[in-house]
Amino acid sequence: MKKLFYKLCILLPVFVFCLLTTNYCYVKYYYWSNAEAIDAKLLFTQDSLENCSDVLYYAESSNATAANNDTCLQSISQMIDSLSPLKVNSVDHGAIHARTFLQLIKNLKSDSKVKTIIVTLNSRSFGSPWINSHLETNIAQANVMYEPNLPIFKRIKLSFNGYDNKSIQLRDQDLEKDWSSVKLNVPESFPYKTVRQWDNAMANGTYLLPNGEWDMPKITLACHYIKTYAFPIDVNTNPRIQDFDEIVSIAKQKNLKLIFHLLAENMQYADSLVGKELVNIMHQNKQLLIERYHKHGVTVVNSFELVNGLDFIDQNWTTEHYNQTGRLALAENVLKYLK
Amino acid sequence: MLFNSLHFLLFFPIVTILFYLLKHKWRWILLFIASTYFYSAFYLPYILILYAIIIVDYFCGLLIEKQEGKLKLFWLLFSIISNIGLLAYFKYFNFFIDIFHVFVPQKLHHLDILLPIGLSFHTFQSLSYTIEVYKGNQKAEKHLGYFANYVLFFPQMVAGPIEKYSTLGNELRAKHKFKYKNISNGLRLILYGLFVKMCIADNLAPLVNEFYLNPTHYYSSSAWIALIAFSIQIYADFYGYSTIAIGAARILGINLMDNFKQPYFAISFYQFWQKWHISLTTWFRNYVFFPLGGSYVNAFRWVFNILLVFSLSGFWHGANYTFIIWGFLHGLFYLLEKGLVKFYPETIRQNTVFKFLGANITFILVTLIWVFFRAENFDKAILVLNQCFTYSFDASLNLKISFELVSMLVIFFLIEIAIFNTRFDYFFKNSHVIFRWTGYIILIISLLLFSGIQSFQFIYFQF
Repeated sequence: MKKLFYKLCILLPVFVFCLLTTNYCYVKYYYWSNAEAIDAKLLFTQDSLENCSDVLYYAESSNATAANNDTCLQSISQMIDSLSPLKVNSVDHGAIHARTFLQLIKNLKSDSKVKTIIVTLNSRSFGSPWINSHLETNIAQANVMYEPNLPIFKRIKLSFNGYDNKSIQLRDQDLEKDWSSVKLNVPESFPYKTVRQWDNAMANGTYLLPNGEWDMPKITLACHYIKTYAFPIDVNTNPRIQDFDEIVSIAKQKNLKLIFHLLAENMQYADSLVGKELVNIMHQNKQLLIERYHKHGVTVVNSFELVNGLDFIDQNWTTEHYNQTGRLALAENVLKYLK
Repeated sequence: MLFNSLHFLLFFPIVTILFYLLKHKWRWILLFIASTYFYSAFYLPYILILYAIIIVDYFCGLLIEKQEGKLKLFWLLFSIISNIGLLAYFKYFNFFIDIFHVFVPQKLHHLDILLPIGLSFHTFQSLSYTIEVYKGNQKAEKHLGYFANYVLFFPQMVAGPIEKYSTLGNELRAKHKFKYKNISNGLRLILYGLFVKMCIADNLAPLVNEFYLNPTHYYSSSAWIALIAFSIQIYADFYGYSTIAIGAARILGINLMDNFKQPYFAISFYQFWQKWHISLTTWFRNYVFFPLGGSYVNAFRWVFNILLVFSLSGFWHGANYTFIIWGFLHGLFYLLEKGLVKFYPETIRQNTVFKFLGANITFILVTLIWVFFRAENFDKAILVLNQCFTYSFDASLNLKISFELVSMLVIFFLIEIAIFNTRFDYFFKNSHVIFRWTGYIILIISLLLFSGIQSFQFIYFQF
């Protein structure tokens, strides 16, 4: 035991020295290429923007996706920038969510020029399909790179699985469990209490073609709307709530003006494809988010029902991708709160 | 819980400290809790399957020892059917359904369930206990806790080595004092195991995956690189795991058998199987090959036995024809080699050139046969093999190997040569202090800088 103790006394300082030297080499030769390899380039994006922006707009693909027939390809943040006297830049990447925004915001330097941050509040991201998405492992991996730690520690964390790297099978299982067991906030009289029951009922030929056959594309889309939007938000356990709450406290610490931008969802399609029960659930979730963050003193820009159903680019899927009319409506809505 | 995780790096020191702080009589409880926690970290509900195996085989062991004649055989069969039944249900059910569909048009549903990690390992290990009790070579364990730890022992529970009760059971029962030697040897093995898994296997995995995604897009030179890369990857993956397992057990004072002895330096298929996954080979030899008559049967029956045992060993790996073909081909080459070797006198066989040629030919053939192990189906395997030997007009890509990866492979190769016929811990323990510490620092820096940035689960976990 003594021998081991003496060895540890000698080895620990040597180990710390090696670690620091390795950290130096890592930053110099591998850090950036590693970040690129796991698609964690937002770190550099933010680094390059924080000294030349008044406002940073944190978003997923909703910001920059444009329709093929758009004449204006400007993103929402670019539109805000061109309409506002302030310099607005975006830190965005497809499929990311509040956990990534949180890590990035933690990295904002104290002497940064940025005084306001706008974070997209995507109600869909609170649902089980997104929480248990197959992309989650990659996102969690990239998030390690965004953590405000010594680069070599991030590397160690990546190598030693220090992030949520559940297998796809386990994620699917968790999703299925949520769909089959989580009770929806629906009226007593409504026969379907879980997503799985509702989805099964919808899948069993709700929509028929004139010739009596099942209208499969319509059924598939309706089922998808149910699976995507029918969920209650448990504020005590929902990981996105925890992320947004932490964003609020970090913004306060850093003395930043925080704006949550509640993104538009295709309410018209939700209503016409599935019905008022789904619309009610979506409204409940919207209301919960707005009230919760108003209470926290955050400005919440409500764009939830701002975009017409036909102005959504993906007509056969649930996304927050808007054509130029939709993007402009959202940009103008945000602009009101920037003044 | 993965060995190459922060979770394990925190868990294992805590278990080790508690292990040595506790009195011997309480240690089995600690190991039981630690092993349960270790397994539950993968997927909690499946620990119940392990508990079921433990309960069934514990009582079967007691009953086999107590009974005589047909009843004794009945309890052995009960144990075998329970264990194999579990395997059949979780691992082979969908495969049998597919076969059923070939003959019967009626559609049966596939099972949509997760395969419990390492199920084939713990069922085989537990089975070996009841078989040994039946044969009278092993006394039935009366202490349920010790038996549970034999099945559950966390360093080797999910990917072996598959131990006999006479070795691991006794090791778990023995009183282990804190010894500096055990700690240092164990840490050496863990360090090397992590290097092999994280710097070699995890860095080769993306290369192999990239190729197998679209094999026809690559030139034949790249196809060969991918095939060799997979040979090294699967070895490094499993060998790395086994080395960490042996090292972790060693720190607790428990000796596990070596599962690999530089198999790619084998000069024949016969030797390859004496060096590759030794614990599984031993299991099949003892519990399948010998009961079938072993070598004491006529030539035709012997050939049949060899092919059957190798095919079964392939099937043990996974519920797919490709695994059976992989095993069968190993059996076939084993037999061919046995036939050919008679034509070469002992003096030639001992010749260095003959050995060198033998090692190369064995490696190339083993590498080619691995294609059936890696490919998702038979057609893909043929496509990959075709790509190695023909010019493809679609081919336009080359696999890129980084300088860092080549450096890691060189270090690995040099170490493997240095520890030929010995083991990493023994070799480094006896080497000069400067050489030793230079080696450690190189391995640690490699781990910090060059380990695979993407982590891949141990390949053998799925078995």
